Amino acid sequence: MQINLEKSQTKKYLLLSILGTGFIMLIANFVGQEVTTLTTNLLYVPVSGALVVLSIIISTRFSVKGEHGRAWIFFVGSAVSWFIAEQIWLVYDLVYQIDPFPSPADFFYIAGYPFLFLFSMYYLKPLKDAISKKTLICVSLIAMTLLVPSLYIASGQDSQISDFELALALSYPIADAIILIPALIGVTLFFRGEVNFLWSLICIAIILNVVADTGFLITSMDGSYYMGHPVDMLFLWAYILFSFGVYSHIQIFKKHQPNIKSQNLDLR
Amino acid sequence: MFDVTNGEISKALVTLAIEKTLLNMGKPVLDEVTHRLFANYKCFIPDCHEHPEYLKSVLNELYGNCYSNIVESIKKSLDEFARKKSIEQFLMVISE
Repeated sequence: MQINLEKSQTKKYLLLSILGTGFIMLIANFVGQEVTTLTTNLLYVPVSGALVVLSIIISTRFSVKGEHGRAWIFFVGSAVSWFIAEQIWLVYDLVYQIDPFPSPADFFYIAGYPFLFLFSMYYLKPLKDAISKKTLICVSLIAMTLLVPSLYIASGQDSQISDFELALALSYPIADAIILIPALIGVTLFFRGEVNFLWSLICIAIILNVVADTGFLITSMDGSYYMGHPVDMLFLWAYILFSFGVYSHIQIFKKHQPNIKSQNLDLR
Repeated sequence: MFDVTNGEISKALVTLAIEKTLLNMGKPVLDEVTHRLFANYKCFIPDCHEHPEYLKSVLNELYGNCYSNIVESIKKSLDEFARKKSIEQFLMVISE
């Protein structure tokens, strides 16, 4: 009963956070470009910071032992990496007022992907028997379908950019396609009713992040991107979904009163 | 001298197999399963030997229908004792 109540409250706060972020960005966009840039950059600080804090909490709870423990360590790696990237982006954009691409932020953004992939591997391990070959082939095809046009768009950048910048631009869609496979598997399991919604939040967040990355790529290519563009809302929502996914795990695997355990030992 | 019955040995083996499998996933998983067993059925892990359906239900709550991998791991741990009647019974119910 209490678990169900906690679950519904978590869903309520999740909805409020998503609507709240969207509303703030909408208002900022109405006020003006400078306010939008400032608001969006500042929104990334608490949103990505909260994810770091929550992931450290869950990782500490599991420690390094066990499959879940290893999974959460990788998740911390990803969260910290992206948090650093967001701060570097903010400094470049707000303080130095120069284009943050390419910058050390890209190194940290890309470094987050292998961590996230390893996390999703360990995260889905307990569910591996439910993953059929058909599902695996289908999601791989979807990832490939997304990769080809994204690579085409990324490689079609103006010829003035260096090979390094081109390689950097191409690495995002490749990383996205790889990370999309376990994420789609997780969501497929949710739609088949085999895992609960909160288990799937992290996978939904990964998909939203991939969509945002693709949107960012397209809008950057046609020159319509600005800090505070609706694409940024998708990035922020992805962080929020990640945070609530982690939070739901903290709720599920919370510390319990030791008296139950001691009773358990007494009976053995 | 201790007098240990076959039933008690089976119970200990099943308990060890469950605890080992859950600990492999992480200590909070073992703690959560222990907590839910007590909260829902007023029982502990050793009692799952007689009531495998309790464990099955708790794992189902946590992992949905995807708990089969955990069951598989428990089965593997008990493989060499699977011919003992009470363990066979436990494995049969939990695998259904």
